[in-house]
Amino acid sequence: MSPRAKGIFSGEVLNRIQIKLPAISVNEGMARSAVASFVSQLDPDVGELADIKCAVSEAVTNCIVHGYRESSGLIYITVTLMEGRAVKIEIRDRGCGIPDVRAARQPLFTTDADGERSGMGFTVMESFTDGVRVRSKVGVGTTVVLLKRLATRAPL
Amino acid sequence: MTHKADLVCDTAGEQMLVRVRGEIDHHTAADIRNGIDGALFEKRPRRLIMDMSAVTFMDSSGLGLIMGRLSVIRELGGELVVQDPSEAISRIIALAGMERAIDIRYTGGERRIQQKTAARRHRKASRTEGEVAK
Repeated sequence: MSPRAKGIFSGEVLNRIQIKLPAISVNEGMARSAVASFVSQLDPDVGELADIKCAVSEAVTNCIVHGYRESSGLIYITVTLMEGRAVKIEIRDRGCGIPDVRAARQPLFTTDADGERSGMGFTVMESFTDGVRVRSKVGVGTTVVLLKRLATRAPL
Repeated sequence: MTHKADLVCDTAGEQMLVRVRGEIDHHTAADIRNGIDGALFEKRPRRLIMDMSAVTFMDSSGLGLIMGRLSVIRELGGELVVQDPSEAISRIIALAGMERAIDIRYTGGERRIQQKTAARRHRKASRTEGEVAK
């Protein structure tokens, strides 16, 4: 992301929520809905909301499938709405962490041995948002930050 | 609001039509997979049509689901058709370049899936740069 674009996501915070939920697959849909509901106050268009729901779904699924693969735990989601219609979504787990983040972000890379994981999770996140940052430490956990700037709305 | 999925299978001759309804994510994909595969191995159709017109959400779990079904139907000597994906579903299918590997059909008329990803990112980049410059 360019330095100018980074500035867009450092503006004044207008509103913020934090959600904590068990890392079980039945909660994936609820996580999408909760984030979408909160972002709706910025009146995104249908495509933007679909993009956000998809990106959140990928990140949350990664926490469940990979982060807590051998254990259980919580997923912490923080959604921040900033001036300039900028949205920052942080999805954090305290799972096993990613040994090689760069490799994990390669399209089609997956450590899923016998399932049908497509390895497209990070590709989807990157394509449907304006930026993805990943911080991870083995044995500690992973934080994925999704950044999206909603299109300007003409005043009614 | 529900985050479920269900499917309806209808076999006529050598063709099986599976209509998936609801949201396809990691949580719902397993049951959808088991449902379709059970029917595939029982009926052994030559063509599997996955009707996606009632799918309201799909993430990359759905891509894995589709590719997995393609493997199974090929194992059985058949072919796969994905039918009537919505705009949102078409977008993620195009992102994966999947329209090159599977047959996608629209029953409402002729339409090709465009490779929108590159064009969209270009438009996005142009818009972002333009707005920052103001």
